[in-house]
Amino acid sequence: MKILAKTKLVDFLKSLQGDSEVLVPLKRNGDLLFGTFDPEQPDIELKGKTAIPPKEYVFPQREKLFTFETNGNKVDIRDQASPPKRIIWGIRPCDLQGIKTLDTIYLSGYSDNYYQARRQNLILLGLNCNECCDAGFCHSLQTGPFAKDGFDLMFTDLGDKFLVAIGTEAGKALIDKSRGLFTEAMASDERKADELERSSWATFERRVDAKVAKARLPKFWNDACWAKDSASCILCGGCNWVCPTCHCFNVEDTATGARTSVRIKYWDSCQFGGFTQMAAENTRQTQAERYRQRVFHKMSYTPDKYDGALGCTGCGRCIEVCPGEIDFTVTLGRITQK
Amino acid sequence: MKENIYEPRLVTIKNIRDEAEGIKTFTLTFNDPALNAAFDYRPGQFGEVTIFGVGEAPISITSSPVNKGYLELTVAAVGDVTRALHLKRVGDVIGFRGPYGNGFPFAEVYNKDILFVAGGIGLAPLRSLINQMFAERDKFGKICILYGCRYPRLLCFTEELGKWSDLSDSEVLLTCDTNPESDWQGNIGVVGSLLPKIEVDLPNTVAFVCGPPVMIHFVIQDLLKMGFKGDQIITTMERRMECGLGKCGHCNIGVKYVCQDGPVFSYQQLQELGEKI
Ligand SMILES: Cc1cc2nc3c(=O)[nH]c(=O)nc-3n(C[C@H](O)[C@H](O)[C@H](O)COP(=O)(O)OP(=O)(O)OC[C@H]3O[C@@H](n4cnc5c(N)ncnc54)[C@H](O)[C@@H]3O)c2cc1C
Ligand code: SF4
Ligand code: SF4
Ligand code: FES
Repeated sequence: MKILAKTKLVDFLKSLQGDSEVLVPLKRNGDLLFGTFDPEQPDIELKGKTAIPPKEYVFPQREKLFTFETNGNKVDIRDQASPPKRIIWGIRPCDLQGIKTLDTIYLSGYSDNYYQARRQNLILLGLNCNECCDAGFCHSLQTGPFAKDGFDLMFTDLGDKFLVAIGTEAGKALIDKSRGLFTEAMASDERKADELERSSWATFERRVDAKVAKARLPKFWNDACWAKDSASCILCGGCNWVCPTCHCFNVEDTATGARTSVRIKYWDSCQFGGFTQMAAENTRQTQAERYRQRVFHKMSYTPDKYDGALGCTGCGRCIEVCPGEIDFTVTLGRITQK
Repeated sequence: MKENIYEPRLVTIKNIRDEAEGIKTFTLTFNDPALNAAFDYRPGQFGEVTIFGVGEAPISITSSPVNKGYLELTVAAVGDVTRALHLKRVGDVIGFRGPYGNGFPFAEVYNKDILFVAGGIGLAPLRSLINQMFAERDKFGKICILYGCRYPRLLCFTEELGKWSDLSDSEVLLTCDTNPESDWQGNIGVVGSLLPKIEVDLPNTVAFVCGPPVMIHFVIQDLLKMGFKGDQIITTMERRMECGLGKCGHCNIGVKYVCQDGPVFSYQQLQELGEKI
């Protein structure tokens, strides 16, 4: 374990710049979002989680897969240039888990080249949560409030300094490169971090018992809860856009000239009626079926298919964002209590 | 650089046959000779067809792996990609990636009597299997093919249906739901209405059912009434697909992804999955 004085954080982040883009949590126009670190405006926000997770750095909302140029029967296919190197500082435990889940989905079986290229160029420097965020329930899924793995370096805010855990060689190399900014941690620093973890646990209110929920869900397949709890959905897709594990997409070609076109992969939402539209039929016509799909996919299908991988990280964003005030932990709560 | 899983391979259209009303069969070869020689697949697998600038659509391979050096797709013009494909000519270059999916059981049904029940363009994936079975004729019992369409002009593979019926120990029965033209001599009624006309050695028969969703639904009910068990009925699932690779999430049913774990399932497996089939 290492120690970095808070006053040295900006120097450390500066030492990371160069061939990498450094991203940090910034408050801009009232929203907390990841943005490029600017040493001239180093107002890094140390509290709260970003409104949207950093999944766009591995799975962008729109990504160009190919450029096609056709000339008679000659077709030239070009794929995208390699992605930039990025270092994210301040990524929360729930979002580290989000990337772990996306790694499992995108890199197993057919390994997605675009995801892999972005992921290989990405370094994750996490920040543990000393208190619960709005709507979070990571503690009940064991993904937070303190991360156990999935990071290159992990920071814990001890007040005037950070305790820094090393997760990978790549993370350690950054400390070595920063030359003298870090000092060795003492046993008392680690004790302080343990205390902070315990006190953070005590701040959580919402909880989900994922194991019990998963076991009971099949019995609730035909339950009235899916229609009732999704009745206020306005089909905005927000719950999917802000979710660190949602990974569904569409692929579409668009002409960019008389002979050129691009193939784009872009986020899609299982809450949209068109998601399952085919020429002859649509297999999920009602919002009840689509809400049930979202909950089953996260709580049951993903762990079953990917060897226990978590489909929900407990970040609570889908609850915060929903204009219909739909809270799937309420549905799950009733299911686990019945 | 590792092979790009999304990259379509260039293929040239070598032949186009008008199969039925609104349906054409395309013969394709890969522009890369090495790939063309090496390309192998199982009946029931499919590929993603690219019309550059228009998009991709999943299409079953209707030729058989015994036919080396080319592949055939039979396509109904229903949307953007399939309509654009219908406008292509011999010599045009399009894209193809695959094969994807599990394919039909084959060695698993050696020595069984085989009952095919197909509706409309659903005969396309079954045709791949039928020709593969006839190529290894001695490994299977009786082969019976029941095929129905809404009306006669929609019947696909009419020439081959005649050939198959001439082969030993095989039977081909055709039907149309309605008969707007008066020259149709065959049966009138849904494809299920052909089932009482055949003799089935029930414990030793496996049924392969493929067609539009309503047809699959009713034929499965008929087969169950006849006494078929869930694992004796093999069918294919159609789902919206954007990748074919188990990534885009569109084809998900329960813990399965139709593009990877399917599109071929036994009725028994489908029942375990829960969602509407
Ligand atoms: C495994 C598999 C094998 C198949 N094999 C064959 C085959 O051998 N031959 C064959 O002809 N077909 C086959 N199909 C079906 C074929 O893939 C579909 O018909 C496909 O939709 C055709 O693509 P398209 O671009 O032409 O149609 P699309 O343009 O995608 O349109 C198809 C239909 O979906 C509707 N639609 C599309 N997008 C949306 C949306 N976002 N919201 C609402 N509605 C929408 C359209 O209005 C239209 O009715 C197969 C499908 C699968 C899954
Ligand atoms: S955020 Fe709420 S309203 Fe929007 S699609 Fe999701 S459930 Fe529906
Ligand atoms: S389902 Fe909701 S709470 Fe769970 S990870 Fe996604 S956005 Fe967060
Ligand atoms: S088609 Fe994309 S996951 Fe199956």
